[in-house]
Amino acid sequence: MAEPTPAVEIKGLVKDFKTSFRRQMLRAVDDVSIRIMPGEVYGLIGPNGSGKSTTMKALLGLVAPTSGNCAIFGKDSLKVDSRNDVGFLPENPYFYKHLSGAETLRFYGKLCGLKGKRLDDRVSELLALVDLENARDRRLGGYSKGMLQRIGLAQAMIQEPRLVILDEPTAGVDPVGSRQIRDLILKLRERGITVFLCSHLLEQVQEVCDHVGIIFRGKMVKEGRLDDLIAIEDQTEIIIKDASPELISQITALVGNSATASLVRTGKPRTTLERLFLRETTQGKDS
Amino acid sequence: MSSTTQPIARGSHFNRILVIAGHAFTQLVRMKVFYFLAVFAVIAIASNFFDLPQHEGPESIGMNVLRSIKSWSLGTMTLFSVVLSIVATALLLPKDVEDRTLYTILAKPVPRIDYLAGKLLGVLILVFVSLAMMDVLMTVVLQIRSSMILTQQVAMAQSQGWPQDAIESLRAETAQHGPNWALQGAVFAVFLRASIMASLALLISTFSTSTLFTTIISFLIYFIGHFQADARDAYLQAGQAGEGVFARMAALVFSLVLPDFQNFNVIDAVIEGQAMPLMVLVKLSLIGLYYAVFFTIASWFVFAEKEF
Repeated sequence: MAEPTPAVEIKGLVKDFKTSFRRQMLRAVDDVSIRIMPGEVYGLIGPNGSGKSTTMKALLGLVAPTSGNCAIFGKDSLKVDSRNDVGFLPENPYFYKHLSGAETLRFYGKLCGLKGKRLDDRVSELLALVDLENARDRRLGGYSKGMLQRIGLAQAMIQEPRLVILDEPTAGVDPVGSRQIRDLILKLRERGITVFLCSHLLEQVQEVCDHVGIIFRGKMVKEGRLDDLIAIEDQTEIIIKDASPELISQITALVGNSATASLVRTGKPRTTLERLFLRETTQGKDS
Repeated sequence: MSSTTQPIARGSHFNRILVIAGHAFTQLVRMKVFYFLAVFAVIAIASNFFDLPQHEGPESIGMNVLRSIKSWSLGTMTLFSVVLSIVATALLLPKDVEDRTLYTILAKPVPRIDYLAGKLLGVLILVFVSLAMMDVLMTVVLQIRSSMILTQQVAMAQSQGWPQDAIESLRAETAQHGPNWALQGAVFAVFLRASIMASLALLISTFSTSTLFTTIISFLIYFIGHFQADARDAYLQAGQAGEGVFARMAALVFSLVLPDFQNFNVIDAVIEGQAMPLMVLVKLSLIGLYYAVFFTIASWFVFAEKEF
């Protein structure tokens, strides 16, 4: 059976920008290649200014590559047709403050050719998906940062794209809002939608992505399946619930008797500060 | 995910342009730009009471009032339409870039020419609606005032024992200064001039870095447009300088690129009560269309290569 067309194929992407005085060229992206297959959630991580956003913009045709090429489901990114199958949420978008949530989605839907009942149904469906039904007629000027990100995600989904590109989707969002967006990304994955996101929040990328690429100073320095990249091959983790001190002593002694194995660490696993925060704030909301 | 699985047909260029135009219009309306209509209403009514220098006989006083109403109204329409077309166009593009909303639009299957044409059309609809409302207001004021003046003048002429043909002549002359088709043509000419300025501001805003720069340069070109024809003629008639083929070609290119707003001086003639021949209006429409299309295509060339 033939291999399916990659959702994203970036080959040898190089992007140079002119500096202010046009004397020197600044290389923002240096020979980056990425291949994302349909249904994958790919996280591009790297520090600020490493070339993540430029790579995404090149994929969307917002900047033209100096060399190399980008394609979405086999269509050249510089052609308008390639955008039929993609939704994009930029970093810190503001959208039109004078429009309500429903009007915003209607505007983007009409741009994509949706109309009539199909558009109305799609708007209602997406508002329900991003949990903004109660704010559908409120102007975006009154939306919180988290709500703006969620309506942004909904507009990215309006024409039912097979690929969604998210640039720092949780930037500036509080932990609760951040969790909601992360859950939405997981929902997209369940529905077989390819997600290409970039972030410098590593823990978040780890939770949702199955493939990652690390970009640094414009170059791709590491890429592959997340599980393969982060697994420590020569160590094994066993988590035991309600273990007595005697049992721990026995296991420790057993390991000590081994000729090849050695005990690295014992102790209680810790929850994350984020989980603690979410638990406490959710309880506060319920009471 | 969706209730329907049918593929979505991409809309036509025309539909997308209409969607963007409708949105730009709504955006500007919600910026409360129509508040200026209240100012216009005050000016239209106040122009009834402005005293103009009076050198003619008492029978001309009424006509001077009508001329004053037309002059102030069309002057205010010109001011509002030019300011609105330049500032609104200069504002829309940089705002979309700054707020990154442009990314979300261009990331959809929207060709850049559709985006530009939509924004321009939105501004033009706004200017057209504004002028139409001001036109209605002006016509109403002018209609009421001209029938009052006509009644007064006929009564005055009859009391002074004017012959019937002189009274009819006075009646016809006063009617020329009232609301008529020439006046509607003049308002349309004001719209055409504003359309040229909006498309010019669109071109400048595609390479400009700020709204202020676009606004200043657009107004500068607007003023140059009022005397460029004189400057061109003076250059071509100034001895040897204007005799060469190069000089004539340069003058031609200059006039093709920079609009000559002296063509719109017919508006002043209408204020003076003269008729506007249909051919003049057709010529102005073609001039307006030429510059609007020329500037929009030039904007597209710049915008198509722009990186965000």
